[in-house]
Amino acid sequence: MDKTEIRVGGLGGQGVILCGMIIGRAASIHDGKHATLIQAFGPEARGSACSAQVTLADAAIGYPYVKQPDVLILMSPDAYTQFAPTLKPTGTLLYESELIAVDDKLPRGARAIGIPATRFAEELGRRLVLNIVMTGFFAGVTELVSLEAVEKAVRESVPRGTEDLNMRALRRGYEYGRQQVAVPA
Amino acid sequence: MSATFEREVEEFTLAGGERVVIRPMTLEDGPAVAEFFRSLPEEDRRYLREDVTRPEFLEGFIRKLKNFEAVSLVAVSGDVVLGSATLYRNPHGWTRHVGDIRVEVARSCQRQGLGTHLAHALVRYAISIGLDKLVVEVVEAQHAARKTFENLGFRLEAVLKGQIRDIDGQRHNLVILSNDVSHIWDRMESLLADFSPSAE
Repeated sequence: MDKTEIRVGGLGGQGVILCGMIIGRAASIHDGKHATLIQAFGPEARGSACSAQVTLADAAIGYPYVKQPDVLILMSPDAYTQFAPTLKPTGTLLYESELIAVDDKLPRGARAIGIPATRFAEELGRRLVLNIVMTGFFAGVTELVSLEAVEKAVRESVPRGTEDLNMRALRRGYEYGRQQVAVPA
Repeated sequence: MSATFEREVEEFTLAGGERVVIRPMTLEDGPAVAEFFRSLPEEDRRYLREDVTRPEFLEGFIRKLKNFEAVSLVAVSGDVVLGSATLYRNPHGWTRHVGDIRVEVARSCQRQGLGTHLAHALVRYAISIGLDKLVVEVVEAQHAARKTFENLGFRLEAVLKGQIRDIDGQRHNLVILSNDVSHIWDRMESLLADFSPSAE
């Protein structure tokens, strides 16, 4: 991995920033790489557009802004409309498949992999952990951060008492991601 | 209720030094659990919600486990069950956010921390599956049981006078204790709000 640019997009209240923060923390603190995080909010936090720009690299990062991401993690239709055209043609879109319909806004050649993350979160007991399911899905598909690192980052980032459910959410997303990229024998 | 206990098996040392294993109950534990309930002295069974010695009780208990309406822990030494703790839940009704906890411990293991340990494990599990509120019912005279749950964050919610008629026909007040654990998730919700740090 030389340098990978990631954008996480969704609505305020979906945990977009926390998703970006956990990815950056996993890479930088626990996997020994470099990471930067830039966050952007709408005029009101809850329900408005929200995105995080994360850059991961093996060396120090000189410019933290993400213009054309290698990986897009999207959790809302508005975020898809806004950010899908910016994905690199060789990039990967990871999206909430029951909220977002992929269309021709996605650059030709880009890979799109969906996950019913909201449903998974509800099945686990709390819709709130949608972003953690997406974080696990990101780790499972891209392997840009190790499972061990992202598990540590989640434990450090979530409120005490919620660790167990968040860890199950992470593993649910991770395992689903691994299944999606598994090569059939 | 498909989640499993994160630490599926753990050991606990009683105050008297005996080591017991605490693990989720399986359907194969049915006979040993039935024997445990039958072995409880009448004095201890006096205040249990149901007559646990009846075969119908065990059949209903097993059915709830199969239907994921209950999850149960057992404390065992060898093949002998020394304690049982169960979280009941209606997964689809209007109280689907509420869990009902019941704990029973063998007389020989009481006042050695086992009941508290079992109850604590169930509270952790209940939070991990997203429940908002936990409820436990005790007879007013069960001071030790009440203290155990108060130490775990449960508080008096209601007293129903003369609600219980024990196996001797005596009536007692029923104390309902509850523990609202939803505040734990309020903190998670705040974390996810994606507020701008400068706007807070």
